[in-house]
Amino acid sequence: MSKKDTTYEVPIGPIHPALKEPFMIKFRLDGETIVDADPHPGMNHRGIEFMGMHRNPLKVIPLSERICGICSIVHQHMYTSAVEHAAGIEPTNRARYIRTIMMELERIHSHVLWAGVAAHEIGFDTHLHFTWKIREKVMDLLEDISGNRVNYSMWTVGGVRRDIPPKMYRRDFSPKMYPKIQNTLEYYEKLYDKLEDIFLGDPSIRLRTRNIGILTEKEALELCGVGPTVRASGVKKDVRIDQPYAAYGDLDLDYVIPSRFGYENTGDVFSKTLVRLKEILQSIDLIRQCVKQMPDEDIDSEPKKAALLNKLKKADGEGIGRIEAPRGEALHYVRLKEGLEELDNWKVRASTYNNLATYAPMFLGEQIADIPIIAACIDPCIGCMDRAEIVEINTGEKNSYSHEDLHKLSVRKTKDMLGDEL
Amino acid sequence: MKEIELPLELEEMKEYLEEELGDGIQEIDTEEIKKGLKNTPMKLIWLKVDRDDFRNAVKSISKLQIPHLSVTSGSDRGDVIELIYHFSVNYGFPGDEISVNLKVHLPKDDPTIPTITDLVPGAITTEREKQEFLGVEVVDIPDSRRLWLDEVFPEDKYPWRWDDKGMEDQSRYVHDKEEAANPPTAANKRRGEDDE
Repeated sequence: MSKKDTTYEVPIGPIHPALKEPFMIKFRLDGETIVDADPHPGMNHRGIEFMGMHRNPLKVIPLSERICGICSIVHQHMYTSAVEHAAGIEPTNRARYIRTIMMELERIHSHVLWAGVAAHEIGFDTHLHFTWKIREKVMDLLEDISGNRVNYSMWTVGGVRRDIPPKMYRRDFSPKMYPKIQNTLEYYEKLYDKLEDIFLGDPSIRLRTRNIGILTEKEALELCGVGPTVRASGVKKDVRIDQPYAAYGDLDLDYVIPSRFGYENTGDVFSKTLVRLKEILQSIDLIRQCVKQMPDEDIDSEPKKAALLNKLKKADGEGIGRIEAPRGEALHYVRLKEGLEELDNWKVRASTYNNLATYAPMFLGEQIADIPIIAACIDPCIGCMDRAEIVEINTGEKNSYSHEDLHKLSVRKTKDMLGDEL
Repeated sequence: MKEIELPLELEEMKEYLEEELGDGIQEIDTEEIKKGLKNTPMKLIWLKVDRDDFRNAVKSISKLQIPHLSVTSGSDRGDVIELIYHFSVNYGFPGDEISVNLKVHLPKDDPTIPTITDLVPGAITTEREKQEFLGVEVVDIPDSRRLWLDEVFPEDKYPWRWDDKGMEDQSRYVHDKEEAANPPTAANKRRGEDDE
């Protein structure tokens, strides 16, 4: 070797740089600059697909919603719609609308939560507390509708298990009371300007997010990235519009890309923040449309569950449930075999799975202190992606950065940058 | 080559694939599911090709747009291993997206498939997953390390296989020496073959 290799490897994780979930990325560094990033997932592999292939289709519904803690609705919806597709069952239209409302409420909850995490990673803990405080409102609404704050248990094959009572959304139904859904939407609409001012207007946040973690449009397309991560680069991919599911075919919506709002489609962390914030507004609009159009009918097309199980046992076919989760496109594939009570095959693919490949180009050439915010910018959800029994985790790496170390570095970078301005 | 104008309708897409692949197609099916009050269709194509024509099929899909590969699902179907590549075309055109589900059957004695990472760089994650979960060998894969399973997981066991390469039953038979020596496979237990 003529030239001496001056790079060195820094493993970050499995105890996490940017998240509270086990995941490892091995970085190759040249000085402060990242020259290679190699993600090592699987620390959390629970074998959920294998478990699902040993249960009957209705028992898999609660299992599927426990794949992820934040987007539990997403996995329930994909799983039930894949089974419906495979068995040729149609959910009622009211169920489609209730599903859409729930999914949009979850999107608001997920994006607000992400904004808090992103602010925390660059040292703005006041913003973390502010966003997580306002997130409680939508959590309360979800609890009022479903009875649960996190795993909502609303879905079933053929429809939903709980109706949204008219007093929660119809003004003519309870003239004295203000319907709870509209109330919550107005709360977020009023706060939205403040949220945008904090995350898009603040000069120090702009310094930390502009031109960092760039994903070009070409890379986004080639690496099959999904969701706000690629829409920030100007890629028009959104399953809600491209291949409408649930009630999205009846609603009026457009791709949320930065150029629609007078920004450039740069694909940096700033654009990703912008896309997620604008999607909160879009969700508010979509829920309003749903509430206006929602038909009055049954919520479940298959109310007799014993008969449904029998029908599913006789069914033979394969189905796909594909949706736009808060983090991007996700897909479940289900195959039912005649005479077999369990699922013949089940494949779960969450959004972070596809976005994993986009890490490498985003980290390239950036600094160690930027690792937390870039790792957070795809809104990674390791629980979803890994789906799999912890056998043994070796955390005894001596040269690994702990989350606290990285966090300190990140906060120091913000302070250094601000030092020039102050 | 004549220029193809996107978006393609479902029938046009079927014709396009038939024209491109000719006799390579083993099965082709279209499906349209109407959803919601406005009956918005969800369009799908189920396509089965031979392993030798597999790369051609991916190439013809990538002539239209940079292909979007959602994931590859795979399963053990007795004599063969079935892989389904879930592509989608016409993305970016509201309501026109078509899911193209490309099926390939691989014989168990030679479960190899050529890589498509040169055509679809984003396919690397799912190809690595298929190697460790189904025991499929992806020829010329740029990175063949394990992705999800732990290092201590045995080399010749594959969680999604239902034959003797699959998982043993997870429950312990400590009280029964005979069963402990020959634990039933997960597949036998699942299909109730133990009881007979």
